[in-house]
Amino acid sequence: MDSVDQYVARADALYHDVSYRSVAEWKTRTGKKAAGHLPVYAPREIIDAAGMLPVAMHGAGDQVEIIRGDAYFQSYICQLPRSTIELAMSGRLDDIDAFLFPSTCDVIRNLSGMWKMLFPKKFVRYLDLPQNFDRKVAGRFWAGELRHLYADLCALNGTTPSDDALRLSLARFSANRRAVASLMALRASEPWRAPAAEAYLIIRAGDVMPVEEHTAFIEGYLAAAQGADRPMRDYTRVVVTGAFCEQPPLELIRTLERAGCYLVWDDFTVGARFLEGDVSLAGDPIEALAQAFLNQSVKNACVYEPDGKKGEWLVNTVRDTRADGVVFAAPSFCDPALLEQPMLVTALERAGIPHTSFKYAENLGQFQVIREQAGTFSDGLRLWSNA
Amino acid sequence: MILTIGIDVGSSAVKAAVVASPRNSGRTRESSKIVATHTERVRRRDQRHVIELAFDEALKAAGITREKLGYIATTGEGELVEFRTGHFYGMTAHARGALFLDPAARAVVDVGALHARAIVMDEHARVLSYRMTSQCASGSGQFLENVARYLGVTLDEVGPLSLTSAKPEKVSGICAVLAETDVINMVSRGIALADILKGIHESMAGRFAKLLKLMDLAPGTVLVTGGLAADEGLTACIQDALGKTKLSGQTVKTNPLSVHAGAIGAALWGAFRSERLASRPTVASPALAAV
Repeated sequence: MDSVDQYVARADALYHDVSYRSVAEWKTRTGKKAAGHLPVYAPREIIDAAGMLPVAMHGAGDQVEIIRGDAYFQSYICQLPRSTIELAMSGRLDDIDAFLFPSTCDVIRNLSGMWKMLFPKKFVRYLDLPQNFDRKVAGRFWAGELRHLYADLCALNGTTPSDDALRLSLARFSANRRAVASLMALRASEPWRAPAAEAYLIIRAGDVMPVEEHTAFIEGYLAAAQGADRPMRDYTRVVVTGAFCEQPPLELIRTLERAGCYLVWDDFTVGARFLEGDVSLAGDPIEALAQAFLNQSVKNACVYEPDGKKGEWLVNTVRDTRADGVVFAAPSFCDPALLEQPMLVTALERAGIPHTSFKYAENLGQFQVIREQAGTFSDGLRLWSNA
Repeated sequence: MILTIGIDVGSSAVKAAVVASPRNSGRTRESSKIVATHTERVRRRDQRHVIELAFDEALKAAGITREKLGYIATTGEGELVEFRTGHFYGMTAHARGALFLDPAARAVVDVGALHARAIVMDEHARVLSYRMTSQCASGSGQFLENVARYLGVTLDEVGPLSLTSAKPEKVSGICAVLAETDVINMVSRGIALADILKGIHESMAGRFAKLLKLMDLAPGTVLVTGGLAADEGLTACIQDALGKTKLSGQTVKTNPLSVHAGAIGAALWGAFRSERLASRPTVASPALAAV
């Protein structure tokens, strides 16, 4: 068994590989193609079943200077599309053969159009995720979209569509979500055993790893973390929400924990666990995946919810994880996260749950203000609440 | 009794305080006793090494071993302390320490090596508001230490000399570079050391009074804490500066243990948290069994 440090070192190397060298190596090794997708949710099972490597693309973080990317966006647009364009224009995405753009927000939707014009030889698909959750209407629509996508990706990769291949992929991703859920459960119960930045890297490794390899990777890390001698500290337990698309810098996650906050739940890379629980292997696998999206998806700002249940869901998440408060961490100019925040704040205040908020960009380099804010929030909770 | 230690990691010195607190005394801990204190200057040494030294020396002075401690609390840059139980932010720790040293304290002026901050609190040491000096060094202890070095006086001599000044010379209150230029000019003009030092004290005190004035400050004691708390010349100037504002009913004081206020406050909060944590259930991780 590898040590915690070895797992983290491997995940860290993949995190910093913004040229996707590991994807190129996988393609050379297997002779197959890779399909990238932007946050938040994309049906990775379909990509996997088509014999392709699903690649979750989360921008360039703070690792690439944005020069060309800025030319395509106004100043009031978030950082993620800028760095994604920068990566593509600098040739770092050349090894990715297909690009999926889910309907997370207007910016990502428009990015799909820009991609078609900028890279006409690449396979580009806009994923119009259902916002109507009626089983019959949305189920038929989404299953149809998934069937088209599967057929097109199989054609691109030179494979034959097959229900057996789909079921195998559904099972692989269900196993992966169980492993991710175990890691999240460890974070919720004994967060000192798996520091937030470490757990984040371990989950992010799944952005580029084949799914079955990633599942074994998480399980190995969990076993190593369980055996590691790490002291419990007197930290506040917080839920972090709002960071589901453009990702916070790794140092920001470390800063939050160093400032005295155990992150017992977060929505970083929530796309990796967008579906809760296993997808049924009975019946038509495409139908099963479509129904899982309608019935088993997490509450998230990029999914329409007509009856205000997201607030209730956040309150329940706080209670389930025994969190002392909530930190709203949203990317600057992130419409979905920031527009939803007042509704969530109302729900928290009704429930008497303390909260604080700040904004970030993926390339943020100064953390002192956030450190002070998180630290004083933690002090306030530990000393003046029932925490 | 619960024995706790507070470690205040500053940029020029690490302060440690061992405190013994009666059990079940909640947040107040009025009858807590300071068992030992220790200050270790950093002096260009590795800060982690200095932290270990301060910790060991404080324990030695208290006559206890590490195992006897119920909580190792840090403040300042205490995130460097890997063996800590918990960390408290500077204003939280200084407010608590100040209230312990002077129960009438309702505000704190914490003058550290790199910056200063004013804290307003209630009678339970709950921080109500705080303000910090801006990034410029002219309101900091390091600035005063530099000037003292240029003038050839020790920090211990600065306060008494300042108190003897009859005609303080005005110094720039905005910029450390300009202030240092002012000082050089004053030396070349033959201005007395006492007048230069008091001018610097007045400049610093004016900045602190402005910070306090920005907050809703109730009558009571303003306790000076941090590395410059022992400088009675500075304390006197802060009192004068406050008198020139519209604030009233504040008495500026210091305490022989003021330099340790952050460490004492952290240790006291540590005792409170130690009891709180003991009452919390330990939760196992059922999910791990599934992997």
